[in-house]
Amino acid sequence: MEKKPAQSEAMQKYFDSLEAKLFTEMEIANAARSKGEDPHPYVEIPLAKDLADRVENLIGVKGVAKRLREIEEEGKNREESALLIAKEIAEGKVGGFTTREQSVDAAIRVSMAVITEGVVAAPIEGIAEVKIDKNSDGTEFLRIYYSGPIRSAGGTAQALSVLVGDYVRRSLGLDRFKPRKELVERYAEEIRIYKRTASLQYSPTDDEIRLIVENCPVCVDGDATEEAEVEGYRNMPEIPGNRLRGGMALVIAEGMILKAPKVKKHVDNLSMDGWEFLDKLIAGTKTEDKKGDDTPAASGKPGAVTLKIKPKTKYIQDLIAGRPLFSHPSREGGFRLRYGRSRNTSFAAAGISPAGMFILDDFITNGTQLKVERPGKAAGMAAVDSIEGPTVRLKNGDVVRADDGKTALQIKPDIEFIIDIGEILFNYGDFLENNHQLMPSPYCFEWWLYDYENGYNRLKEEKKVDISRFPNPDDVEKLKHVSEEEALLFADAGIPLHPDYNYLWHDLYLEELEKIADFIAENGKLEDYEYETESVSCLSLPYEKSVDDGIKPLLENILILHKVREIDGEKRILIAPPTHVLRCLSVTVEKDKSFKKAWTSEEIKSAGIELTIDAVSKISNMTVKARAPSRIGARMGRPEKSALRKMSPAAQVLFPIGEHGGKTRNLVNASEYREDMNATTGKFEIKIGMRVCPRCGRETHKWRCGCGEFTIERLFCPRCGIETSDSKCPKCEKPTMGGRKKAIEFRPIYKEAIERLGVRDNFDLIKGVKELMSRAKTPEPLEKGILRALHDVYIFKDGTARYDMSDIPLTHIRADELGITAEDLKKLGYEKDIYGKDLELDDQVVCLFVQDLIISVDCAEYLLKTTQYIDDLLKKYYGVDPYYNCKTIKDLLGVMVIGLAPHTSAGVLGRLAGFTKASVGFAHPYFHASKRRNCDGDEDCVMLLLDGMLNFSREYLPDKRGGQMDAPLVLTIRIDPNEIDKEAHNIDMCARYPHAFYLATEEYKNPAEISKIMDLVSSRLKTPDQYENFMFTHGTTNIASGPAFSAYKTLETMTDKMEAQLQLAEKIRAVDESNVAELVLKSHFLPDIMGNLRAFSKQTFRCIKCEAKYRRPPLTGTCPKCGGGNIILTVHEGAVRKYVEVSKEVAIKYHVSEYTLERIELLEQDIIQTFENHKIKKTSLTDFM
Amino acid sequence: MDETIILEKASEAGFMINKEAVDYLIGCRLQEDCLPRIFSEIDASVFVIETEHLTVLVQTLEKEAEATKTAEESKETAALPYKYSFDENMVDVLEDISEKTTSVGEYNQFVQYFRDRYTRISEMIRSRVSARPIESLPKGKNVKPLSREGNSDITIIGMISEKTTTGNQHIILTLEDPTGTFPVLINQRDTDLVEQADKLLLDEIVGITGNLTPEGTILMASKITQPDVPNNYSSNRRRSEGYALFISDVHVGSKEFMKNEWETFLDFLNGKSENPQLQKMASEIRYIIVAGDIVDGIGIYPGQEFDLEIPEIMRQYEVTAEYFHRIPKNIHVVISPGNHDAVRRAEPQITFSKEIQRLFPENVTFVGNPAVISIDGVCVHIYHGCSMDDMVAAIKGVSYQEPTSGMVEMVKRRHLAPTYGSRVMISPEKRDYLIIDKVPDIIHCGHVHTIGVQNYKNILLINSGTWQAQTDFQKKVNIMPDPAKVPFVDLKTMKPGILDFNDDY
Repeated sequence: MEKKPAQSEAMQKYFDSLEAKLFTEMEIANAARSKGEDPHPYVEIPLAKDLADRVENLIGVKGVAKRLREIEEEGKNREESALLIAKEIAEGKVGGFTTREQSVDAAIRVSMAVITEGVVAAPIEGIAEVKIDKNSDGTEFLRIYYSGPIRSAGGTAQALSVLVGDYVRRSLGLDRFKPRKELVERYAEEIRIYKRTASLQYSPTDDEIRLIVENCPVCVDGDATEEAEVEGYRNMPEIPGNRLRGGMALVIAEGMILKAPKVKKHVDNLSMDGWEFLDKLIAGTKTEDKKGDDTPAASGKPGAVTLKIKPKTKYIQDLIAGRPLFSHPSREGGFRLRYGRSRNTSFAAAGISPAGMFILDDFITNGTQLKVERPGKAAGMAAVDSIEGPTVRLKNGDVVRADDGKTALQIKPDIEFIIDIGEILFNYGDFLENNHQLMPSPYCFEWWLYDYENGYNRLKEEKKVDISRFPNPDDVEKLKHVSEEEALLFADAGIPLHPDYNYLWHDLYLEELEKIADFIAENGKLEDYEYETESVSCLSLPYEKSVDDGIKPLLENILILHKVREIDGEKRILIAPPTHVLRCLSVTVEKDKSFKKAWTSEEIKSAGIELTIDAVSKISNMTVKARAPSRIGARMGRPEKSALRKMSPAAQVLFPIGEHGGKTRNLVNASEYREDMNATTGKFEIKIGMRVCPRCGRETHKWRCGCGEFTIERLFCPRCGIETSDSKCPKCEKPTMGGRKKAIEFRPIYKEAIERLGVRDNFDLIKGVKELMSRAKTPEPLEKGILRALHDVYIFKDGTARYDMSDIPLTHIRADELGITAEDLKKLGYEKDIYGKDLELDDQVVCLFVQDLIISVDCAEYLLKTTQYIDDLLKKYYGVDPYYNCKTIKDLLGVMVIGLAPHTSAGVLGRLAGFTKASVGFAHPYFHASKRRNCDGDEDCVMLLLDGMLNFSREYLPDKRGGQMDAPLVLTIRIDPNEIDKEAHNIDMCARYPHAFYLATEEYKNPAEISKIMDLVSSRLKTPDQYENFMFTHGTTNIASGPAFSAYKTLETMTDKMEAQLQLAEKIRAVDESNVAELVLKSHFLPDIMGNLRAFSKQTFRCIKCEAKYRRPPLTGTCPKCGGGNIILTVHEGAVRKYVEVSKEVAIKYHVSEYTLERIELLEQDIIQTFENHKIKKTSLTDFM
Repeated sequence: MDETIILEKASEAGFMINKEAVDYLIGCRLQEDCLPRIFSEIDASVFVIETEHLTVLVQTLEKEAEATKTAEESKETAALPYKYSFDENMVDVLEDISEKTTSVGEYNQFVQYFRDRYTRISEMIRSRVSARPIESLPKGKNVKPLSREGNSDITIIGMISEKTTTGNQHIILTLEDPTGTFPVLINQRDTDLVEQADKLLLDEIVGITGNLTPEGTILMASKITQPDVPNNYSSNRRRSEGYALFISDVHVGSKEFMKNEWETFLDFLNGKSENPQLQKMASEIRYIIVAGDIVDGIGIYPGQEFDLEIPEIMRQYEVTAEYFHRIPKNIHVVISPGNHDAVRRAEPQITFSKEIQRLFPENVTFVGNPAVISIDGVCVHIYHGCSMDDMVAAIKGVSYQEPTSGMVEMVKRRHLAPTYGSRVMISPEKRDYLIIDKVPDIIHCGHVHTIGVQNYKNILLINSGTWQAQTDFQKKVNIMPDPAKVPFVDLKTMKPGILDFNDDY
């Protein structure tokens, strides 16, 4: 009955092959687990074909999937379905719950899961409890307890969950919530303090909070999540305790207030009453905060193109030491916006030239996060070499631009100043997703090509000009770069000037333009200069005079490339070719070869021309368009990540050994532990879940008794102490637990495991855990840990081995950049390249299948070790055939993995299709979206599918809030683009943006206005094209070009990083280094010093023997818990002083404000006074003299 | 005199009083403000005050009152500007950390610091109950009865290191002394004791009397003894006269500094008030005590630069010093620092740097925070009051509106900032300077920007308000300051009052 997504036969084949392999591995895992060596004799990750499956498996309400599919058939959208299914569950039509509270609870969770695509953990972890409570007038109302993980649901789902609550409470006939006045005030105070101690995207006013709490028909309540307490409205009978309830604050502030318009829409659709207060909220919602936007627009000069968009300073506000600023907001010299999509950008990932990555001192590389001014908040970075790189001035005075990594590395040692940091590539979809109005596009080649096509056709029709000198518009490669002669020919025919011969005229005042023209007219001459072999005609200017008169900086700033060479003993500036520059400045060459300028700025002004760019068009008699009207400020965010996941402290097996394995939690040490001289070796007390054999009555921690019988859990009630195997206490009905403290003989368990595996008993270190956090305290089989230690594999809390990587999207691949061949790709089912040609060569570009992954080489090496561990496990522990048999990382091609993002509980099936030197995980944006990630610097993990199936068990998950997050509770086996994060629907997939797009950017249109003419994923849904025939507008030669690692990661100390950051700031025109120094001191170093000083004087203490922590030193001096262990400080003088010297040096060197300098001096004085002993007389050198 | 006030003051002083004595007092020629002094003179061994205890005292006081009255009248006619010369207005610094710091931030110093606190405060409690060291408590399964009667009361004195409430609402305290720790249970049914225990703060030192459980695992409390000041405490201060003024939290440099009101205050000090009574009072001022935050400082909180009129720290002190130069030179000014001042933040705070002191006139004496001084025999304990934030958060009934309510709690614990690790930063000195060792006549705090004057067991508690109008931050957290008011004390009668310098005054 299940509906198949629309797909082509080739795609069907691909999905079928994935599923076939999945089921093979499933069988292996089920067979292995059926031997009873694991908590359950079957694979514990349920498979989900679609959203309906995921929701049912995640929440565990039977019948939901079937009903959801029926509802979808009826044509309901996601949110409508969510409300409808909630109602049916609440009314008992689905799920069949017996109590009202149970059914309401399930209804709210299910509907929330539907809204969040059944991926995030919020529906299970974000709602602690749903309760029916009584108002003071005796009527009943609904109370929803939210907890911290509700954050992962996002504002809309948070707000809608409240609406769902109201919807279902009506069908149950409950009254609305009627709070007391004091309680309302408590909410207001609590949210206010929460904003201060934790963080909220939005600070609601007290009136907004009052409005919601007084009027919301459902009580939004929550667990205490913060240590901080309210100060005013304490000890309310309705609320246990005084600590802050984070979930409540999030739902009210970020959900209900921010998403009021969305909730309103549904309220109207359902014509529900009692939500009229939303109108007030929407009307009263504060507009953009007034602070911040105080930097004057760089382009606000008279004569320059004035942007209608104000610079945004938000991204720059918390500048961190070591993470450089690349450009102040919208400043000249900063990133120039270019529209388009490369195969490794979109979906909140942007491209810059690999040359830029090198020239900006290696701080940016693939996967590095940039905090950007717009269109969103942040973007992951990817190397795109088809856009312009930075323009720099070399030490010899030359101004050159580097567009590729090789050139960049060549010139890097000679760079004196970075005039312009190059282009940044954002796709239209990112503007659409962020609802950011379009900004004027630069007059780039893509746009020019439309003008050329139109011009060509016009000329052809008019037949006035000899068309044979005009290349055919289809010959795109030829037109990309044309000669000066051609460019001027086209321009004279009415086609705007080719971008190659265009400069940033719009950055100049009209007077400056005239100044350049005057200078050239007076001092310039045409000269031939020998470049290597050929002689080139150049515009030649006297160097010294150009510098003295300020002409060279003007030429530099508008990116007129030039060289400085000595001719006849005089330094000259050489610009080649010269004609287009003279033409743009309307400087004519007279017969006697002298120059003449035949215009004045007054004349132009009196002709009503205000903008310099228009003046250039006018005087040159050509159409000259703005080359870089929009700039985007940026600073470095998080560095890229590619690292194996380790718990802290790292573990290789979930087996508890308490303090007996020493600080490293070493099982080997634990097996040799002796309480005292007479004690049995390896015997100690530990909390471990015990089980009992129903046949022979023996007690063991294993799931299968030595006699072969499956054992039964032995639980107890923590309150009554009654032993039972039930999950509830038969007496008090409280949930039971496993793992009473009990003496176990660990040594024989250990030795037996070693013997069973048949490995040599020569381990130095096998890392266990101190204690188990799960409810039943179920340990992992020790054998698994031994084999993991053998292969140097580590695990996460659920028993799986994982590897984390920054997410970067990738829609197309080439075998040669992935360390594989076309043959390999063919084996994986790739047949045609993007042009429909048969795949034969390694450099053909093919469309990436949506569930194929490109992982970092380091990740591949770790997964290789993991396959070897799994093979050993199959062979030596389960006694079946090994499966992977991988020897090199290339053998990993086609291996199945699970992708899983933090804060979610649904894994996605993936397949390895190649390896990259970049420290990132490339995958189709759909794949990232199905994990509910975008690519703005997020990261997540992969694990081997078979690892998850063999080793994952819910039994291991910690019994605490958030314990179920980040675990593969369900596995999505096929990506349906309709059921992924909607953000991915806004990605554009065309080879070329339409002409109308560029025109729309000039008008600052809202991106939604032109979405119909853009080829978006949303327009391809439910057709075979949703999976294939994707294109990109900008190519890139190698997705891994650029530095191997961000300098942030390779520089060792914070001081080094900060020095590098400031050196870079000194070099970049768009960055004011003294401002950077000030910001870093203010937002990083000074708070750090202050914080450490404060921490020193309020510090906690720690026992070095048993790790016990003390809020205050015990009066006995030594540790009473372990009987005399030495206690030490947790904050030392060194930590406080760490940044004082460097702060002072930086403050003086970069001339920060007096205020900041004084603050540093005061802090230094405070530190001296805190650590100075007046009673010890200081001796100085003079005392001896 | 009013009967209820007499009864109240008597009980405050720790006495009962019979009807006859009350009537005698109502009939005498004295004012109510003499009562604390009268009761303080009565021997502590007296249980019920009778007329015979009063007659001699009352007669002396009556004579004294006559004499002052005539003296005052004669001086008024004399119209000399200042009644007391600077040399007469001496200040003795009795306790002050400045120049005596020992901490270099080592672990042992933290231990030493808390041991000093334990030793000195536990002694105060030990004088009232007989206690035993925690180590000596019998532990384990077979506890032998401590005495032949079985479970008799025992007392331990300890620092509270943990305080939790059980599921059944019993309060569990962990008491610690240098020999070990022991848990104490306050039964939820003992409402009086629970009320007392609710207010207990971490790291304060208390004596707990109670029974050990048969297993010897926990002490069931029946009585809590705080060090406090004895009910019958009476000062042996010297007789003095003239006025002392108490100010704090001037916040020069802040945009909200109330310049006009401050100018009015300076005018008043210089005898420029229009009100002749105030003129006369000004001529009798001998001391001004300043409890910290004389400037707004810089970098105290994020974004402070936007709230500053004067963004340079030294300039703030220069302007402040100029103001202090305008205080009549006969008045002895004592300044101690607060959390906004340019000295270390950790308490005890040492006094201002020489560089800052140099700016001020010679009639200013600088001390640390806290400091104990004697002004002509009257003992004043000055403390800026950062711990007040802790008290408000932790103790029911303590509020910013009534700042002396927090000061009462300090006296009860004989410590200015009992809780470690919360809002107050501590420098682990050899000696705990935050202990209220010698019982002062006056305790003077600031910090909370509200004003309060209260008598507690013959100690005058003063919180001296501010000269800073409501800041944006305070507006947001709904703190209403009570600015431009100056509490004062008549050193002769120890009678307090409050001067108001707000514009509409």
